[in-house]
Amino acid sequence: MKKRPWRKNLYENQEYPDNYTDESFLKDLRVNVHFQPISLKDSTLGATLIVHELCTVIVFVIIYVYLYNHWSEPNYIFSWTCGATLFCFVAYRTFYGSIRTFGYDLQTVLLFLVFGQLFSPILYTLTDTISTDTIYTMSFLMMIVHLIFFDYGLSVAVVSNSLSLSAVIFASLCLSSRLATPYEAFILMTVSIKCFVLFPLLRNKIKTSFLFTLIFVILVAYFLTTVSILMTYIFISTIIFINVVCPLIFIRFQKYKDNIYGPWDEAIVQSIDMTE
Amino acid sequence: MSRCICMMSDFFYPNMGGVEEHIFNLSQCLIANGNKVIVVTHSYGNRVGVRYMTNGLKVYYLSIKVLYNQCVLPTIMCNIPLIRYIFIRESVDIVHCHSAFSALAHEGLIIGNMMGLKTVFTDHSLFGFADASAVITNKLLEISLSGCNHCICVSYTGKENTVLRARVNKERVSVIPNSVDTYMFSPIPELRSTDCITVVIVSRLVYRKGVDLMAQVISEICDNYSDVNFLIGGDGPKRWLLEEIRERKGLQHRITLLGTLEHSQVKYVLNQGQIFLNTSLTEAYCMAIVEAASCGLLVVSTKVGGIPEVLPENLIYLTEPNVPELTRGLETAIQDYRDGKNICPYKLNNTIRHLYNWENVTARTEIVYDHISVEKMRTLKEKFSSYLSSGVWPFLVMVAFCHLFLIFLDIFIPQRNIDICKPFPYKNFENCRKGRREIT
Repeated sequence: MKKRPWRKNLYENQEYPDNYTDESFLKDLRVNVHFQPISLKDSTLGATLIVHELCTVIVFVIIYVYLYNHWSEPNYIFSWTCGATLFCFVAYRTFYGSIRTFGYDLQTVLLFLVFGQLFSPILYTLTDTISTDTIYTMSFLMMIVHLIFFDYGLSVAVVSNSLSLSAVIFASLCLSSRLATPYEAFILMTVSIKCFVLFPLLRNKIKTSFLFTLIFVILVAYFLTTVSILMTYIFISTIIFINVVCPLIFIRFQKYKDNIYGPWDEAIVQSIDMTE
Repeated sequence: MSRCICMMSDFFYPNMGGVEEHIFNLSQCLIANGNKVIVVTHSYGNRVGVRYMTNGLKVYYLSIKVLYNQCVLPTIMCNIPLIRYIFIRESVDIVHCHSAFSALAHEGLIIGNMMGLKTVFTDHSLFGFADASAVITNKLLEISLSGCNHCICVSYTGKENTVLRARVNKERVSVIPNSVDTYMFSPIPELRSTDCITVVIVSRLVYRKGVDLMAQVISEICDNYSDVNFLIGGDGPKRWLLEEIRERKGLQHRITLLGTLEHSQVKYVLNQGQIFLNTSLTEAYCMAIVEAASCGLLVVSTKVGGIPEVLPENLIYLTEPNVPELTRGLETAIQDYRDGKNICPYKLNNTIRHLYNWENVTARTEIVYDHISVEKMRTLKEKFSSYLSSGVWPFLVMVAFCHLFLIFLDIFIPQRNIDICKPFPYKNFENCRKGRREIT
């Protein structure tokens, strides 16, 4: 007697042993369904976002070193950074926002200035009992945390804006407490807010480009030479690693991507927006 | 042939679900066929120690702390003395572990394998391959299944999934579906309302069961049909969504949320409706739709995982998992019911009885047991090299330590010092019961 053909259901195949495997086994298997290859240009441009944030952190640390060693007048640094911020602010508001919020912005700035001035005397003696090495290590770790959890524009689980910002503000508080006068501490905190709160807002609006990245990196490298030559070499090799080697590795490894899809996958549904 | 089978899983009574039901019903049928069955699970609240259930089913509630989601901490090492003691005391031949989510099941597989017992694993769920947690779980499953004698999956899609994710040889994987007690889930047509159509939903209200779809379909149908009501049994983190929809549309009189149901109540809830709606996003087998069909309801379900394999096309309305398709499927079912195209509930119950019954499932599981019983014992070298085949060599250190630990236990708590437990006198018990029934 001829067997009935095997069918993929659970009630008809009594003539077949339970561990029978039909030829149609795994015929619904699909590989790399939503795969979009990423070009070298795209991946390099994406890497520049990390370079920008790394450079920002280094700029902040350079300013700290200048203030700490009294290599330049605090007033000089303050007026230069304020000038740059004002210029950027005006550009930001004209191109991307409305002037109408100007009153609100001014209020925020005044509030920050008043509270910054008020609290800087507490700030600069805050960690007198803790050794400088501890402070530097802690700041270093916090900066790393900042760089890891920073929002580089991808929606992944590790991104946490609040953690990233808190970590870097904590690091700047630690560093400000090493400075000699309350005024210097206040300046460093101001610079920190500019670097880590305001600057990313602006960078988000400007589309990233190789030219901007190059200018930024050269400027940072130049100022870094005044601090340490060895650090400059390390900085440049890091930049090359992040912006050239990593994208190349990424492109190379793309061919190993092997995502399996099949009928066992969870269906994707739009969750309801209850705010309507 | 009488053998002692040890069912191991984190999930058992008083917890309720598909796995729990499967273990209980399978055990009952195996006992009826003259096997000795024990169940090993972790403690639930103050339910610790040995308990007996229906027909002398012996259950060990091990005093292990629950870590997360009703699972114990997967230490592999820590419970070896306890589990070894039970295996020897009950003279276990076959260790049958259930569910890939259960850490105790994985421990049972490894310890059983190292003690030279035969091991079977039943996989009740599907798993994707896309995210990091899936990668880790799949690797773990691959490791523990590499020492396992045979796997059982509840659907062909489940088999494809298990073969892919755990890289088991397909010859070592059998497909034996779940089943439903059709005598328990029998139709009671007088419970149905005559002046309106009731759509019943019985499911845990979690994301995986498609509560988002459910809520949108309910609101669409309620807008278009004034004589269709919804009856929803079950509870879960997404319950607020249904409550919100009900509140917003003012449908308190048409949508009834019953909350958590006892297993014995489910039958009465199902029988109050004419149509059953299942919106799962992934499902290996889906007992709920078979239970509903067994009660004589028209079944509307999403076409995901193993669901298309479960019921013949004329008994189910399959739709793609999105709102418009599901709504259309439900509308077709409503129209067919009004036109009187539905099958007589008693006839439907009878059909399901022929498709699925626990005796058949048990017979097929026993074939697997017979098959592996004659497989020859693996040497230590073979065991080690099978674990090595998963490519995670640090795990071999763990297994080797397991082996040394077992040797150590053999010296300090030798087998001869462990009392062998007497089997429950099922035959006498059964005769006694019959005798008493005859007297009364």
